[in-house]
Formats: sequence, C-alpha cells, structure tokens
Amino acid sequence: MLASIQTKVRESRRISREEGLWLLSNAELLDLAGLANEARFLRNPEPHVTFVIDTNPNYSNICTVDCIFCAFYRHPGEEGEYTHSVDDMIANFKDAASRGVTTVLLQGGVNPHLPFEYYLELVERTVKEVPGVQPHFFSTSEILMMAEVSGFPVDGVLQRLWEAGMRTIPGGGAEILSDGVKRKISSKKGTSADWLNVMRLAHKIGFKTTATMMYGHLETDEDIIEHLDVIRNLQGESGGFTAFIPWSFKPGNTPLEKIIPRYATSTRYLRIIALSRVYLDNFQHIQASWFSEGKKVGQIALHFGADDFGGTLQEENVHAAANFVNTTNTEECIRLIHESGFAAAQRTTLYEILAVHEAPVEAA
Amino acid sequence: MFHKAYEAMTIAFRDSALLPIWEKVQGGTRLSPDDGLVLYRTHDIISLGRMAHAVQKSRSGDAVYFVLNQKIEHTNVCVLSCKFCDFAAKKGDPRAYEMTSAEILARLSPEIKEVHVTGGMPADWPWERYLDIVETIHRHLPDADVKAFTAVEIDFFSKKFRMPIEEILQQLNAAGMRTMPGGGAEVFSERVRRELFPQKIGADAWLAIHKTAHRLGIPTNSTMLYGHIETIEERLIHMTKLREAQDDTGGFLTFIPLAFQPGETGIKPRHMFTSAVDDLRTIAVSRLMLDNFPHIKAYWVMLTEEVASVALNFGADDMDGTVGGEKIAHDAGAVSPMALKKDQIIRIIRDAGKIPVERDVYYNPLTLHADHVVGKIPYLNSIPFYAHLSIPDTKFLHAVPRRMGMLSAKGMMDAGLFSLMDYLSQEERLEPMGFCIASRDQVKSVMLFSNEGWCDLEGKRIGIINDTATSVQLLRTLLDKRYGVQATFERMHGGVNDLRGYDAVLLIGDEALLRNKYGLRGYELVFDLAAEWYNWQKLPFVFAVWAMQRELTAERKALLRSSVEAALDAGETDFVAIAGAHGRRIGLTDAETHEYLAGFSYRLGEREWQSIRLFREFQHSELARLRDSNVLSPNTRTLNPKP
Repeated sequence: MLASIQTKVRESRRISREEGLWLLSNAELLDLAGLANEARFLRNPEPHVTFVIDTNPNYSNICTVDCIFCAFYRHPGEEGEYTHSVDDMIANFKDAASRGVTTVLLQGGVNPHLPFEYYLELVERTVKEVPGVQPHFFSTSEILMMAEVSGFPVDGVLQRLWEAGMRTIPGGGAEILSDGVKRKISSKKGTSADWLNVMRLAHKIGFKTTATMMYGHLETDEDIIEHLDVIRNLQGESGGFTAFIPWSFKPGNTPLEKIIPRYATSTRYLRIIALSRVYLDNFQHIQASWFSEGKKVGQIALHFGADDFGGTLQEENVHAAANFVNTTNTEECIRLIHESGFAAAQRTTLYEILAVHEAPVEAA
Repeated sequence: MFHKAYEAMTIAFRDSALLPIWEKVQGGTRLSPDDGLVLYRTHDIISLGRMAHAVQKSRSGDAVYFVLNQKIEHTNVCVLSCKFCDFAAKKGDPRAYEMTSAEILARLSPEIKEVHVTGGMPADWPWERYLDIVETIHRHLPDADVKAFTAVEIDFFSKKFRMPIEEILQQLNAAGMRTMPGGGAEVFSERVRRELFPQKIGADAWLAIHKTAHRLGIPTNSTMLYGHIETIEERLIHMTKLREAQDDTGGFLTFIPLAFQPGETGIKPRHMFTSAVDDLRTIAVSRLMLDNFPHIKAYWVMLTEEVASVALNFGADDMDGTVGGEKIAHDAGAVSPMALKKDQIIRIIRDAGKIPVERDVYYNPLTLHADHVVGKIPYLNSIPFYAHLSIPDTKFLHAVPRRMGMLSAKGMMDAGLFSLMDYLSQEERLEPMGFCIASRDQVKSVMLFSNEGWCDLEGKRIGIINDTATSVQLLRTLLDKRYGVQATFERMHGGVNDLRGYDAVLLIGDEALLRNKYGLRGYELVFDLAAEWYNWQKLPFVFAVWAMQRELTAERKALLRSSVEAALDAGETDFVAIAGAHGRRIGLTDAETHEYLAGFSYRLGEREWQSIRLFREFQHSELARLRDSNVLSPNTRTLNPKP
C-alpha cells in the first residue's frame, strides 16, 4: 500500500479514500511524514514557512447554538455576556494595526439580536478607517444568522459583504463534516451541507476562504476521511480555499469534557497534518496551529507537511475560555520557525509574501 | 541486537549527505563523531527520525517501557552553587528543607516499582543518614528498586566520609540500592564545566564512578544536559565517551537527553526552551550514535508530554514513568494522581503505535497494556522466522525466552517462539503451530564450558544465566539421567564477566556461539549439549517451539500460522542475506552463519515430537515448579548487562 501511495504522490496523482484511511489508521508515523514532506516540497518548494500577524477578537459572546465543545459562549441575558459597539471594535482594530497587525479574524457568537446592518457597518468602516488591516470576518454560522435576521438569501448576504469590502472568510465552524458527528456535538449549527453551501456560494462570488477541522472528540477515522473528501471535492469545483487548518478539541470547561476529558495526543495531530497534506492535493497551504497544539508541536508539524505557521494571535478568547492559553508574538513566531530549520515569511490573509526573515546561520 | 535486515525499507532522503550514514547503520558499522555532525546539521529531520526508528525497532520491537516510579529529593541544602541549578538552597534559607526517612516513607505510594533518590549535598549529614534512607525504603517497599544518588553525590560521600568510591557503593548496595541514576553528567566538556559548574566533578570522575558501579554489578543510567551553552561538537564528544565506557562495562541501561530548563538561572531567558526539532534530533542522533546502549529515554517531564510522544517514533523506547504522583490525600475511591499519570502514559504510548510495557528495574516486562502481541526472541537462530515476519494488526515484543513464558502464562501474548520448557508447562493454554528450532546432531550455541569431565562434576558448582529453563533442564537431565551426577547450579549475575570460580558454566545463544569459536578463558573442555543428547538418544533436540494461545479465534490462529509459514519460506532461502550482519556483529563469518543456521530443523516433524515426548518424561517435577513460578515477580534479574 505504502509504495503505491508513494508513487501517486510523486506523480501528483490523487489518492483514494481507502488509501487515505490506510495512511491515517495503519501507516507508520514517519512513513506518513515522509510522504507529506515530499508532497509539501513538490507543491511549495521554497524552504520557508509563512505566518501572518493577526488578531482574533470577538464582537460578541452571545450565542444560541449551544455547541457542547465550546466554553466561550453565553446565552442572551446570561451573566458575562457582551456585545461590543462598532466604534469599540474599530478602536480595537486601530490599536491592533498600530502593533503591526495585517489580518483581523473576527467572529461572534451567533447573536440573533444583531441587525444585518451591524455587520455591514463593521466591514465598511474597517476597510475605510483601518486601511492596513484586511477584514477576515464571520464564520458560516454567523452568515446563516445574517440571512435569517435580514431576510436575504445567503448569496445575497455574501454579495453585500463583498460590496462592503470583505474578500476573505475564515473557515471555522466546519468541525467534522459528517452529519452523524455534527448532530451530536453541534445539532443547532446546521448540517455539513450548510457549511459547504455557504463556502460554495462565497467562492462563486470570488471570496477566498480557509477550511478547518476540529477532531479529537466523537469522530472515527472514517469521519475524518469523509471531511477531507468533501472539502477536496469542493476545492475541485471552486478553487476557493487558501489553506486547511486542523485543530484538536480542547475539553476544558465544556459539556463535552465529561465524555472526552483529554486532549488528543501530539502524535495524532501530526498524523492528521501529514494526512491532510497528502490527501488534499488541491490545497496550496496546510497550516500548523501552534496556537491550539503548543509551540513545540507546531514546530514539529512544519516537518510533517505544514508550510504555514498561522497567526501571531495578538488577542484570542475562545481557547482561553477553555483554559488553553498559548501566547506568542511576532519575534517569537519568527524564532520558532527559524529553530525548525526554515526561513520565516510574513504573509497577508491571501498568502502574499510581505517580508522574508532568513534564519541566522547558527540556528539549527 | 540488530538482526532485522533493513533492506526492505527505502527512505526518500531529501538530504543526500545522510545516505552514506544510512549505509553504515544498515551494515552495523559504528558512526563517527563526524557522522554525528552531519546528522545534527541535516534539515531532513524525518529521514533522520526514520533511521533512528529503524534501529529502535530492531532493538526493542514495538515496545515502549515505563515504570511506576516516584522521585524523592531528600534535601535541597547543597554545598555547591551550580549556575544552572534552580533547586539548591543554603542552610537557613527559607526555601531549605531536609527530610527524615520517615517523612520520605510517608510520601511513597505502595504500588511503585522504582524510587529515584537524589538531592542536595548538605555539609552536616552523617553517612548513616544516607544508608538509613536507602534501607528504610528498601525494607518497606521490597518490590521497588531503590535507584539512588548521582555520581556527584557518590563522589561527595567518598571525600566527606573518607572512604573509597568502591566502599561507598558497596555499602549502599548492601543497604538496598540497586541502580544509580545518570544525573550529574551534564555535558562532558571542561570548558562548560568551568563556566557553569566548576565545583562539580568532571567527565573522568563521573565515568570512573559509573564504571566502578558496573563492575560491582550495579547498573546505571546516563544523561546529557543540552540546550545551554554547549556546542554540537561537545554533545557528540559526550556521546562518544559514554559509548566507550559502555564498551568497557556494558552497565548502562539507558541514555537520557535532558532538555535544559532556563528558569531563573540567568543562562538563557526563561522562555527560551529547547526547540522541539532540537529535542527530536538529539533523541535520534543518540539512538544512532549509542549503538551499544539498550535504551534511549524520552524524559517527558523536561521534553513535555507532546514532544515525548513524538520521540517514540524518533528512536526512544523508554518513557520513564509516572515520576511525580506524590502520595497526597485523596478521597476514598477517587483515582490517585499516579493512576491518572499511568493512564496518560499508556495512552501516549498507544497513540504512538507502540506497546506500553510496564517494566521492572532491569527492563523486564511485567505487564503489557496491549492486545495482539507476538513475542520475538533476539537470538541468531530465530532470524529465519523473524526476518520477514509481518502480521497484520500485530505488534512485536522482544523478550528473552523465560520472560515470554511468564507473559504467556498471564495471557498477555498471542503467540511466540517459546522455550520448550515454557511450552511444556503451558500445554493446556498453548497450541503448537508446527514450527520449532531443533538441532540435528549438534547445536553450537548451548555449550557447557568446564574444567571437569561429565562424571567428575559431582558436587561441583555450575554457573548459569537465567535466560532459559530449557537448556538448564537439558543439562540437569544429562547430568542426572545419563551420567548419574548431582551438581549445584548458581546464577551468574554479571554474565561471563562474573565467573567467580565456577567449575563449569553453561552459556547459550550468541554468547555461547562466540565462546565456542574463541574459547572461554579458564575452561579447557567444551561440551555441546545437543550433541550429548544425540549421542545418548539418537534424536534431535527441540529447543523452542512456536505456539499460540488456544483461546484465540480460528481466524486469528490461521492468520498467525500462515504468516509464520510465509516468513519461514522466505527466510530459509538465504541465511546470509537475513542473518549475515547479525553474525558478523557477534564475530562469525558469513560461511559460519550459514552453516550454523542450516544445521537446524525449523519444522516440527515426527522425530522432533518423539524427542519432545521423551524429554517431557524426565521433567515432571520441574514442570510443576515452573507452573508455580509463572508469577511475574518484579526484579528477578534476567538481564545480561553485557550486550
């Protein structure tokens, strides 16, 4: 099995679901890593790893979706709930921009009490008032809520966001694109088809988006292959995904903690990074989420097929709510990449390279 | 023992500088410090890891060892002031503490198998206080290994109490200290020592103390502290010195690279931990350089659990243990911190695709936390079965025959090549698979080296190694039934380094092959036990049989049988190709290896069964004894420290 997959990878031919499942469930860890490394350098021959200076604030923590893996949200009226004004958010972005941030990844809550105009105003004013920053706003669930509150169809909502100046959408909320699992962990968040449909419509308009996966809870190996397969198919149709970002479920303070009390191990994460590099032959970038997996594991992932180190995350609240805090800054981010044996290339949301920081000679 | 041929494995090297090194590794050639530099400088971390993992698998199969252990730091008061140390305090400092033996005892959980004792070096403790710590722990936890005092402390005792190192070690050993930890080595460089720890002993003293311990039969660990001010060259010098010492004594159990923790030491900013890539690289390079070390440890306390997990595929086969887990009060019925830690370690090892093996002090497996395990014997004559053996959904555990028998008796092993005595003692449980290792008219690897002829051995002392019951029983049977002679059998703890005036010694396996060729100094006569049996009974002798648990499903049994059959068919075609490297490593020419392996029958035929039945008749009382002893007692020394 390994030899035939290796031939396919070298000839840039697509591997099957069965081959994917074999790699995930049976391959030796470093056999899989070797394949992923070959695929990585075939697709991105530059010996550099990209990163973005970004921030990840939230405009509201009010949410009615009740995902059992989440420790961040509050119900309307619950103690600790908040919704920031557009003015406050713009001030937040300006402050971030002054610290070098080029990408703002902004998400809620899925808050049914906010009018569609709130979102449009956020986008328009960001583009106009904080020109150094690219708005990378709103998950699919929020976009579906905008359609609900505004009465517009989903593509109408997306069209208006595009006209307001948004060009990219984050790929969160995919969790595991297998309805059996989604029903158990996030029954009110919509089906796999909902997530895929929003992405499909967005790509049609011209948006670029990322795709994510959250594993390490109730899914099977087959569910993971299903997830990778559907996004590979959509990418074949639309070409709108810039990168794939898997991360593991963080159980702290969530209802799901009672069933899944522990993080998935680092070895599992690395298998998934490497598998996604080999399986997602039409994705340009695979992102190592040092933030969710830890700096050391993030470094190792760069040798398992990942070519992007994600963002510096000047502000982050969702993982922090699950007691998982892992902060870094730009300088450290560059050092971590250098220590892994790569040059560090600062990028935009759309993966345009802004500056390349070569590794100092002595860094090994 | 590197008997697995690597040729089936192809590595797509991104860095071609690794190719010649891989050829050396495959051929069993020792790597030079320059090779080490190439390994340290390569960007091709995955290929480096794959080479190290291949060596790891050839030595340990799929096993990753851990132990239920606790660390006791009896005091932090210390006369030294080492720059990298955050732990030590001066007497009178509010942080300073000194524990009594009773306080130490109160902290220990009853289930532990190893107590790691190291601490500061206070100016005013009497020698008896140290002996008392060891004695107290040993008396209250007789099943636990007391691993006590680094070489730095031993040196301190020797100077302070004006006793030679040897005397210090002997007294501690007599009090119950069984092994020594590997701390205090730091990095073997005078430059670094002068800069960071000028009051500590240097490389020569550290190595001399460990070698003395080895000669006294006290195995030890070894460490290297990396990620501070040392150079890569200095790390490689460190490894080379350890490798030379191991060549001399064979007493090191494991090598532990320790990632430097900056803390408040001021040597590095406190957030500047070693990089994960450096951590994995150091594990892999040490596995490749330290070709005479049985184990490489991923010490998760310093590496983080996450990096340690990955290290299990980069050359490390040892996860240390539960380490902390101080005995603290917890609600009745609640899970103890140690149990939680144990579960987590088992999960990490399983996720790495390995068998979690709970071990004793000598790395003997006590409990396997995995299903579908097949046992693998590390001897040259079993290579025809194992060189090409792969079984779907199955993991391999390397173990000496007696230990495999014990694990099988606990139902922890699906199948394996069992020593004949172990098979016979478990016939109700084990089903023979039709394969064996049987001599024809001689064996060459089960040899009695003696100063007396058979009939003159009456009342004499014969040294044996507790590796296998079968060869010992064959010897007993020959003495008793053929020659009518009664001799005493004594276990040689140090292998052939520990002959201590035996009148004869029984050697088996690779050691016997080698001594058969070159002789064993001090013994003039050499007897081949299979030849003796043949001359007596005109039958082959069956040393080992393949057997599997009767309770397995028919499907699983068929899979096991057909896998072994296929592996043997492939293995028998060219003995030199599969075993030549192993033979050369133990000093045999390719022609000798071929002749040796061609001398066995690998399939159980009628004459082999006839021989088994005849031998069984002689063994009634011994088989009963063996059944009773199939309790996995920890700390029964079955390890021969000389690799």
